[in-house]
Amino acid sequence: MIISTTAFTWLVGIALVLTMAAPIILLTLLVRDSKKGQLW
Amino acid sequence: MNIVNTAILDPATGWFILAAFSALWVTLGWYFGRKTDELDDYVLAGRRVGLALGTATVMATWVTSNTTMAAPQLALQMGIWGMIGYSLGSVGLFMFAPLARRIRRLMPSGYTSGDFIRLRYGNTAWRIFLLISLFYSMGWLVSMGMAGGILIHALTGIPYHYGMTVILAICVGYTLLGGLRAVIGTDFIQALLILSGAVIIAILAIRQIGLDTIHASVLAERPELLNLLMPASIMFLFNNLLFGIGEIFHSNVWWSRAFAFREGVGMKAYMLGGVLWAPIPIVAGFIALATPALGLNVPAADMVGPMVAAQILGTTGAVLVLIMVFAALSSSLDSLLAATSILVVEDIYRRHLKPDASADEMRRATARIIVGLGIATWILCAPRLTTLAELLYFTGAFVASTIWPIAAGLFWRRANAAGAIAGMVLGSVAGLYSYFAVGFYVAALVGAAVSMTIVITASLLKPATFDYADLQELHPREITPVPGGST
Repeated sequence: MIISTTAFTWLVGIALVLTMAAPIILLTLLVRDSKKGQLW
Repeated sequence: MNIVNTAILDPATGWFILAAFSALWVTLGWYFGRKTDELDDYVLAGRRVGLALGTATVMATWVTSNTTMAAPQLALQMGIWGMIGYSLGSVGLFMFAPLARRIRRLMPSGYTSGDFIRLRYGNTAWRIFLLISLFYSMGWLVSMGMAGGILIHALTGIPYHYGMTVILAICVGYTLLGGLRAVIGTDFIQALLILSGAVIIAILAIRQIGLDTIHASVLAERPELLNLLMPASIMFLFNNLLFGIGEIFHSNVWWSRAFAFREGVGMKAYMLGGVLWAPIPIVAGFIALATPALGLNVPAADMVGPMVAAQILGTTGAVLVLIMVFAALSSSLDSLLAATSILVVEDIYRRHLKPDASADEMRRATARIIVGLGIATWILCAPRLTTLAELLYFTGAFVASTIWPIAAGLFWRRANAAGAIAGMVLGSVAGLYSYFAVGFYVAALVGAAVSMTIVITASLLKPATFDYADLQELHPREITPVPGGST
C-alpha cells in the first residue's frame, strides 16, 4: 500500500506548520513567565 | 548519479562559525550560571524553572543530532514509517509528563533517578539500574560526540577529530561554568535556532524541488520507501516508540528536569515539549527522500541529511545546517553532561564512596565529573567505530527493560524488587539477543515485553506493600550543614 501524493503532502505540510508555530509559542510563554516572575 | 563533495563550506568559514557560536554558548553559560554557588542551583537550577524554559529544554534536549541526522537516515532506509516512527519518540515525553508531576511530589529533595530506584527497590536493583543508566548515558554522549565530528567534517572539511573535540570542549566548558542553569538557559536559544533552521531548510527544499516531484521520483526509483505496509518499518515504529519511552523513563536527563521544574510545571512542560517535538523528525527527515529527485549518491547513510540540505541550498544552506546541528548537539550534550555528572556524584560518589559528603563537596565533585565525562567521551569517540543509528539503538534493549520497573514502581504499591531486578536483567538479555538475531529495530520491543511480563507476574505472585513516604530523604545540607555555603 503506497502512500498517495496528497497524503504525503499533508503529512509534511502539517508537520511544517506545527514546527513554524513552535518558536512563537515558546516566546509567548517566555514573556508570560517573565511578567509573572516565574522564569527561574 | 553523481558523487557529491559534501564539504560545501571551506574550513576557514567552518572555523569562524564554530568559534562564533562557541563564544556565544560560553558567554550565555557564564551569564545564566552566575548565581549557582549552592548545590541545588548548580545541579537542579534552583528547582524553580518555569514553563517557557522548561518546555524549551525538554524539546531542545530531545532534538539531538540524531533527530537532525538520523531522521533523514531512517527516512532513506525505512521510508515514511522511518520518519513517523522517529516522530513517535514524542510519546515518551507525553507519557513521562504524569511521572514528572509524581516524581516532584514524592521526592521534593531528590536528585537522580538512581535515588528513586534505591529507595523503592533496594541496593541490588539500584546497582543494576546504575549500570544500565551509565551505559546508556555514555552511549548517548558518544553518539553526540561522533555526530559532531562527522557533521562538521561533512560540511566544512574540518577533520573529524578536530570537530568532535571542539563540540565536546565547548559543552564541557559552559556546563562547567553554569551547571543546569546554563544548560536550560542555552537550551532556549538553541531550541529557537533548531526550529528556525529546520523550517527554512524544509521550505526551501519544497520550493526548489516540490513534494510532488519528491514523491514521484521515490515512487519510480525506490517505491518500497512509500509502502505503508513495509514490515521492517512497522516493527521499527513500535520499537522506536518503546525505545523513546525507555530512554526518557530511566534517564537522569529527564528526572533531573522533573526535580528542577517548579511545582506544577513538570506535567505541562513535558506535554507541550512533546507536541512541539513530534513534527521535527518529519520536517528534518523528508528531505532525505529528495535524493532520487536530486540524483545524489549517498556514500554513508548517516550523512544524507546535511548532504541533501547542502546540495539544495548551497553555501547558505550549509551554514544554516551547521548552526542548526551545532545547536542540536550542544543542547543534548550539555544536558547529558549535567545529568550524568549528578548521577555519578549522588549515586556513586556520595552513596558508595563518601556518605558524609557535604553539599559543598558534592558541588565540587560535580564539576570534576563533568570534565571527566568530557574526556571519557572524547576517548570513546576517537575511533569512530559504528554508524550513528547502530550506536544509538544498541542501547535500546537496556533502556526499554527499565520502563516497567519505573512506571510500576511510581504508581503501583505492589510492584516488588525481585520483579524489577529480573525484569531489567532478563529484559536486557532478551533485547540484546533479538538485536543480534533479528535486527536493531526489535531490541527495545523485545526488552520491554519481557520486562513487562516479569514485573507484572512477580508483583502479582508476591505483592509488595511499599509506603511512598519512604521516598522522602533529607537534603545533603540537612545532614551536613556547610558554613559559608559556596565553593
